[in-house]
Amino acid sequence: MNKQPLFPERGPAFWLTGLAAAISAGTIGLLFVSLVVESVPVFKSEGVSFLWGTDWFAGEVYGALPMIYGSLMVTGLAVVMVLPFALGSAILTSEFLSGRVRLVVKAAMELLAGVPGILYGLMGIALLAVWVRDLFGLIDGNTLFTAGLLLAVMILPTVMTLAEDALRAVPGETRDTALSQGLTRMETVMQVVVPQALPGLAGAVFLGLGRAMGETIAVMLVIGGIDRIPQPWFDLFASGQNIPSKIGREAAEALGFDLQWSALIALGLVLFVMVMTLTTAGHFLLRKAR
Amino acid sequence: MNPRLWKERATILILYGLTGCGCLVLAVILTTVIMKGAPALSGEFLFEESRNFGSEGGIFYQMIGTLILMAGAAIVCLPVALGSVLFQTEFLHSPPLKKMFRFLIYSLNAVPTIIFGLIGYLFFGVLLDAGVSWVTGVLILAVMILPTLHVSIHEAVESIPDHYREAGLALGLSPGQQMRAVILPQSMYGMVTGTLLGLARAAGETAAIMFTATAFSGVQLPQSWTEPVTTLQTHILVLAQEATNPKALTHAWGAGLVLLTLVFILISVTLWIRSGMEMEAER
Repeated sequence: MNKQPLFPERGPAFWLTGLAAAISAGTIGLLFVSLVVESVPVFKSEGVSFLWGTDWFAGEVYGALPMIYGSLMVTGLAVVMVLPFALGSAILTSEFLSGRVRLVVKAAMELLAGVPGILYGLMGIALLAVWVRDLFGLIDGNTLFTAGLLLAVMILPTVMTLAEDALRAVPGETRDTALSQGLTRMETVMQVVVPQALPGLAGAVFLGLGRAMGETIAVMLVIGGIDRIPQPWFDLFASGQNIPSKIGREAAEALGFDLQWSALIALGLVLFVMVMTLTTAGHFLLRKAR
Repeated sequence: MNPRLWKERATILILYGLTGCGCLVLAVILTTVIMKGAPALSGEFLFEESRNFGSEGGIFYQMIGTLILMAGAAIVCLPVALGSVLFQTEFLHSPPLKKMFRFLIYSLNAVPTIIFGLIGYLFFGVLLDAGVSWVTGVLILAVMILPTLHVSIHEAVESIPDHYREAGLALGLSPGQQMRAVILPQSMYGMVTGTLLGLARAAGETAAIMFTATAFSGVQLPQSWTEPVTTLQTHILVLAQEATNPKALTHAWGAGLVLLTLVFILISVTLWIRSGMEMEAER
């Protein structure tokens, strides 16, 4: 076969679309480059202690550990709480419900996945935080637990639809074979379908986690906004802070070129690396499942 | 009775229980927004400007602001997304470059929205000197929804059957003519659904615009390029933090209901168009 030239013809269509492609690739490239470049000053002045310092006083010292801790804690909580519900309903929808009901459920989930974060935030601050306060007898309902719970509710539709897709990707013959061996429907699902769909299910959870970790507005309103690691560290009913919420709170006052601005961008970089790890893992697992 | 059968029934019951709980939570959320938001709605609420820091008056300019930002973002983003998809599918023949492009788009999709605010302000606000303004907001949101539009259009273009292209080539169409005559008409639905989803995403976004494009009070229509707007999202954000003032809170729920309705309409239309396409494909 003849080797095709890289670009066959260079008419106006080529230049127009090429310009658009250059704009989008350039924008994305610039975004990533400036995320790194702009966070250099704070790493220069704080060194590695930016990552494990526990104190953050604007203008004096920047330590991101409490925010990193908060992000991990809140996301971990969300996944623990969302797993049984998301997987349970995904299995039920994919394996036991009829085609039409399934479509309705899927459509409803896609709608719900689009509910703006600010509405969850409003719900969190006006209702959930109050319930948590009264239920657990706390002084302040804005805690890591509240934020985790709110995120769990937020990512439920996303995780559920993706997990359901992963289960549907297991071929029907697999089920038929298992059933013909005398397994009950439930045994088929649990011992044959779920193990086969496992990479896809994991991928769904990872993508949901990525979304939870990057969510700003809902968490910002209910997490309490105190930059410290609770004592003891597993005390979930204490106020905390996660990375997006910290950025959201301080960005307006730091708008500009100060070291504080650089510190916020460095926080963004840390967040991006964490989210990117989760989403890349998720996409990899989902592709493997197909 | 057979213990296996019992186990079977018990597990299915548990599944129904879990699903029921999940659905219940989501149903509670929707009904809460509707129940709390509905009392605030009235002609005055929809068509008057807000007064007394949001606890009186309406949300007219907030709605306009949200519409300006989301429509602006879509208008800026659509040609860029369309162009880069076409470049990628029609002109780019090297697999590693294609792969790299796809990777860029996927990683953009993974970027937490607050980061768009940070970096976007740096470029559009500081370098372009637009400051905290609606232009900054539009551009930031346009970058944010790029992956949504790109993926949707890309899928539509990829799913055009090969013999359509071959027919075009056999007629001796140049790539430009091929795009106009074959590819654009055949992938129109991808453009429409992608744009609608992008609009929905932009309408629901708060974090990226709260410190880059909006002001809370005293804002009407922007008169110049560098003026901020006020939006439903940020209006709710400010009112929600005054959780002690019941009147402000009612207005927050009302604005929330309006925003939710807007987003739901956009997504429903997308789903409707998409299910129509699927039915056509099955025929």
